[in-house]
Amino acid sequence: MMILLATALIAHAQEDDFDKANKYYEDKDYDSAVRMYESILDKNVESAALYYNLGNAYFKKGDLGHAILNYMKAKRLDPSDEAIRHNLDFARQFSRVRMEGVTLNPIDSFLGSVVDPYRLNTLAWISSILFILFFVFLILRYGLGMWSTATKAGAIVSLVLLLTVAGLTTFKYRTEYLTERAVIVADDSPVYTGPSDQSDKELEGAPGLVVKIIDQSGDYYNVLFENMRRGWIKKDLVAII
Amino acid sequence: MKRLPLISILLLAVCFACFPKFAHAQAGGNDISISVTLDRDSIGLNEQATLQVVVSGTVQNLPEPQMPTLPMFEVYSQGRSSNISITNGQISSAVTYRYILLPKKPGTYPIDQIALVYRNHRYKGNEVELTVLNKGNSAGQNLEKQAQDSNGKGKDYFMEAVVNTKTPYVNQQVTLTLKFCIAVQYYGSPELQEPATTGFWSEVLGNKAPYYQKINGRTYRVIERKYALFPTQTGELTIGRAAITATVAARGGGYKDPFNVFGNFFGRGQDITVRTSPINIRVRPLPEKGKPDNFSGTIGNFAITASADKHTVEVNQPVTVSIKIYGTGNVKSVAEPVFPDLDDFRIYKASSNENVSKNNDLIGGTKDFEEVFIPKRPGRLEIPALSFNYFDPMRSKYVTLSTQPIGLQVTKPEGYASTSDVPFSGPDQTIGSEAKDIRFIKESMGSTSNVGGLIIFSPIYIILNGLPVALLAATVLVRKRKEKMSSNIGYARSRSAARAARKRLVKAKSLATIEKGGAFYAEIYQTVTSFIADKLNISPHGLTTDRIKQLLKERSADEGLIEQTARLLGQCDFARFAPSSITQESINQSLKSAEDVMVAMGGIRF
Repeated sequence: MMILLATALIAHAQEDDFDKANKYYEDKDYDSAVRMYESILDKNVESAALYYNLGNAYFKKGDLGHAILNYMKAKRLDPSDEAIRHNLDFARQFSRVRMEGVTLNPIDSFLGSVVDPYRLNTLAWISSILFILFFVFLILRYGLGMWSTATKAGAIVSLVLLLTVAGLTTFKYRTEYLTERAVIVADDSPVYTGPSDQSDKELEGAPGLVVKIIDQSGDYYNVLFENMRRGWIKKDLVAII
Repeated sequence: MKRLPLISILLLAVCFACFPKFAHAQAGGNDISISVTLDRDSIGLNEQATLQVVVSGTVQNLPEPQMPTLPMFEVYSQGRSSNISITNGQISSAVTYRYILLPKKPGTYPIDQIALVYRNHRYKGNEVELTVLNKGNSAGQNLEKQAQDSNGKGKDYFMEAVVNTKTPYVNQQVTLTLKFCIAVQYYGSPELQEPATTGFWSEVLGNKAPYYQKINGRTYRVIERKYALFPTQTGELTIGRAAITATVAARGGGYKDPFNVFGNFFGRGQDITVRTSPINIRVRPLPEKGKPDNFSGTIGNFAITASADKHTVEVNQPVTVSIKIYGTGNVKSVAEPVFPDLDDFRIYKASSNENVSKNNDLIGGTKDFEEVFIPKRPGRLEIPALSFNYFDPMRSKYVTLSTQPIGLQVTKPEGYASTSDVPFSGPDQTIGSEAKDIRFIKESMGSTSNVGGLIIFSPIYIILNGLPVALLAATVLVRKRKEKMSSNIGYARSRSAARAARKRLVKAKSLATIEKGGAFYAEIYQTVTSFIADKLNISPHGLTTDRIKQLLKERSADEGLIEQTARLLGQCDFARFAPSSITQESINQSLKSAEDVMVAMGGIRF
């Protein structure tokens, strides 16, 4: 009872902070709005709307990198939200640099388009339901000895569905959580050929560019851009999604 | 009759028009032509002219023209090149002959009588005239000095290195010319060892086609190579020695092969190496006088232009301004001109590229910059003039250039709000007609979770997915047991023996009175014998006490238990045959004994 009460009180306090942050935003005090939204995140609480509003506040502040970072976090939690998608696409148009020669793996891009509208948790629950369904048919068949064609068909169909959805869930988990991705947030973001500013400059990044982190050494990440160019960038110039 | 000549002429004209080959054949004498040209009309005494004779015609094997004797010139053939083309079955060919003419005396000399004879017809080339001026008689004192050895005798070969200036400004082009002059026959291509140019940014301007030059009255073949050197530091710098190695014909005398039927055709070669002297260069710093505050460090002679890709644009839409800087000098060192911060525009650098060219031994080229301007407000706006400065080393002064300001008509887009709330804009933006800004914030925080919390790692999820696995295992085990029970009577009896024994004991307990003493002992007897019979899947009938003792012994039962069982069974038998002996005490004792025996038997492995 006490725990429930405490949880309710905490949730109420977070909603209060959220409303305060929204008020700052409406008053165009974007710095305060950002601080207030981030204070909620500091309490180990996240939601798609929280990241979305934080992204908006950063965008209005003129911090494109953090805006895109937070929109991407919001989209990961609620990929079907149209406003999040719109603002992410809108913000990405303002990136100073356009990546040339981006070629997507056709299989990855097909699987990505299939799983894109769903949250990872949704896919995990569907997998779980199919798993239980499959086992219900197995119990009926092997536990209760109901050797009918219906139980056999049910087991096969549920197994096929289970493997499909579980595969897609794994794909989504791998691409969105297991693969470490980051967004360039600094205005000046040189990318070097080696993990040191003494190395030759490979290219000049720009806020909002999304990179895949493939390695790290000292203060530098080895990053892969969407067009497969790679290089080393200082860790504090990017933020992990 | 009067019409006849007119018709004949018309017919003839049609024939000529339809059959060009026929027309040519008829033309006979006009199918070969000789064109004579000179690369220049007048030359100095130590210079050379190139005479070009082009023989062209509609025959495949054009004969070679006969050259007249030109006593006032030394003539060297530079070879020939031919070109044959077939168009509509018609062959046309042209052969070009080149000759180098080196004058011996000043004067004006007509060159004519270049002719050839083909099928008994003589074709003659046009006449040209070459004037040899009495100037440049000297090949340059330095060259003449170089061409003499210490005894004043002419050298067969030598190499000279000269620069156009020995006191350049830093980053000003110094042109280095290497001349290898050789008056004897040489074989193969001479090998050049490039001079060391430490302290310079160096670019090869190229090799000049070999030419002939008269030095001290002797004709040398000259191979010339030029470099553009840009000193990158001030102070004393040195251009190192260049060396050239060539194989020349061995000089007369010596051993002569008596069997040498080829004469000097495969003449024995002798490797020679000649070197230039190092050249000291004193690089001057740029003068401080007149130096603009924002001097970019560019040196040379440049011009600048700026242009926009459009002059009418919507608010927040990009306009690309191209800035072009071109001229002579080290283009690579041209710094990007900087626009001041403008209230009406956001400015982004888009691209820059450079194109280096070499014209008249001068390095130059163009450098293009592209900047993207995003107008922030509608109205008549102006991209201001852009200034660019450089140092002109030829005039030893700083020059500042400005572009023309660029006027822009900035229009309001549909639904334009006077204060744009989008804090930035980029060159790539293609905002749709309805999208002017981001969507507004959300009022509610929605469903929350712990940061990074994923359902797949939560205990509930793992337990929930583990349950059906456990349930399946349990139901399968139950079914298997059931199947075994129904298919294996011995197993079923053995598994149910204890339960049956417990039931019987309960029943016996209910009969534990003197009145029902007979039934009580019968039940106790049944309990023990049935338990053993069930466990061993044998009939309980005919199981005697001795047989039971034996069976228990075979199963390694405790001796005490065997004795206790035998005693219990004995008591049962005795009570059945002498019911009057039954007392309540003996009943209680037997019940207690029976319970002990059954508990103990539970531990035996049957």
